[in-house]
Amino acid sequence: MAKVETKNLNLWFKDNHVLKDINLTIKENAVTAVMGPSGCGKSTLIRAMNRMNDVISGCRVTGEVYVDGKNVYEDGTNVYDLRRKVGMVFQRPNPFPKSIYENVAFGPKIHKIASGKKLDEIVEKSLRGAALWDEVKDRLNDSAFSLSGGQQQRLCIARALAVEPEVILMDEPCSALDPASTARIEVLIRELSKKYTVIIVTHNLQQAARVSDFTAFLYVGELIEYGDTEKVFEDPKSELTEKYITGKFG
Amino acid sequence: MTETTKERVVFFALGVPMVMCLIVFFWILAILSSGAGTLNLEILTTSALQGGLFEMIVGTIYLLLGAAGIAGPIGILAAVYLVEYAPSGKFTRVIDQAINNLAGVPSIVIGLFGFVFFTTQLGLGRSLAAGWLTLSLMMLPIVIRGTEEALKLVPPDFQEASLALGTTKWRAITETTLPAAAPGIVTSVILGIARVAGETAAILFTSCVLITRGLPKSPFEPVMALAYNMFVRIVAIGDPAESVFGIALVLFLIVAVFAIIAIIIRTYYRRRQPWLR
Repeated sequence: MAKVETKNLNLWFKDNHVLKDINLTIKENAVTAVMGPSGCGKSTLIRAMNRMNDVISGCRVTGEVYVDGKNVYEDGTNVYDLRRKVGMVFQRPNPFPKSIYENVAFGPKIHKIASGKKLDEIVEKSLRGAALWDEVKDRLNDSAFSLSGGQQQRLCIARALAVEPEVILMDEPCSALDPASTARIEVLIRELSKKYTVIIVTHNLQQAARVSDFTAFLYVGELIEYGDTEKVFEDPKSELTEKYITGKFG
Repeated sequence: MTETTKERVVFFALGVPMVMCLIVFFWILAILSSGAGTLNLEILTTSALQGGLFEMIVGTIYLLLGAAGIAGPIGILAAVYLVEYAPSGKFTRVIDQAINNLAGVPSIVIGLFGFVFFTTQLGLGRSLAAGWLTLSLMMLPIVIRGTEEALKLVPPDFQEASLALGTTKWRAITETTLPAAAPGIVTSVILGIARVAGETAAILFTSCVLITRGLPKSPFEPVMALAYNMFVRIVAIGDPAESVFGIALVLFLIVAVFAIIAIIIRTYYRRRQPWLR
């Protein structure tokens, strides 16, 4: 079933036409990778799905993005609810300058989802969901900055999980991490896709091949190819995709 | 000239002004400490009516804290607006320039404005309140600039992370940006206090008198202040400068205490701001 769908999505930053007529249907409870060379609009595409581009001045959008069949660019859309439903993890781990506990509790507290014991439970559940609980359960009150880069990124994932999203957008979540941490996050992504719809931007081809069920290839703002990951990597329809996969450019 | 000689010349040339500054600094210290002899705990706590300094010290602190109470919140909110919300355009640039200009206005002009506007037109009279408002005008640019710098030092990542969790921008600012910038903001307010602590011209016509019976009982009564008292003693009464050094030392110490508080806050929090590394 389609969880997220874009229809004739066009996006400009001032005069820069960043996304051109993107039509993409993203399946529920699966991992979809968006790959392409730097500056092709990958990040912009996923940021269009929770309207995080809105905060950039000069951003203009035409076309539609449907989440659960509802156009998020429709007038009257509550972007705050949208962003709760469509969570996001960023390129650089960006925990708040607060304790580990407070980082995860931030969302539920602000949205008044829970407090007290119930909040403790949410924090534990989220940290478990991000495969971090066993490493931090004895030091929940330590600063988030005392964690390693990989742990910080998993903390950010836990923070996103705490507001009970349905879709998780990941913007090159491993690009600032070492190989071991990357491997852990990749295992986690597979795990997460059982319950969530994961959309991950990556310029790492191997990563796209390892973690995703579906792969989209973006080139200068255009969707060149989209399909089963296996298919895209083994038998790409477009010559451009093939060249990119075989490392002829990128 | 060989490179080594050049290096020596430069080293010397850079060292001389440094040494001159040190000499002047210690000279000032020496003059100030010559006033130390006239001070003792009794004078500090005795009423001015009995030749003490009590009302002047407390009056000075009243003036400073009150002005900080006005310029602090207004300056911080203005800085948040300018950094986080103001559209980059002509209007913002004009405001920006106006703040710079305000910082450059001579204090006697600010004092005159305070006299005309707060004391006379608003009818506050020669009062603590008029002094607060006038001094806060001098503090504002320092608080705004300092807060702006502190806000800009906070990585935008925090706000982005907060927005992505579905918070409003204002919530993101109050929950993440402001706490992270708090030490810098507090420091800027204290620097503002230190800036106006010795201010005489601004309170000359607006709030000070030479002698009062006790402390002001409301913000609408005049107040005594150390700087004003020194000014009057030297200019109007014609006391020898030496006799005023004691008061100068007290004023110096008050400013120093504020500066030290600022340093303590900064070093304490810097250790807790790993993103500044």
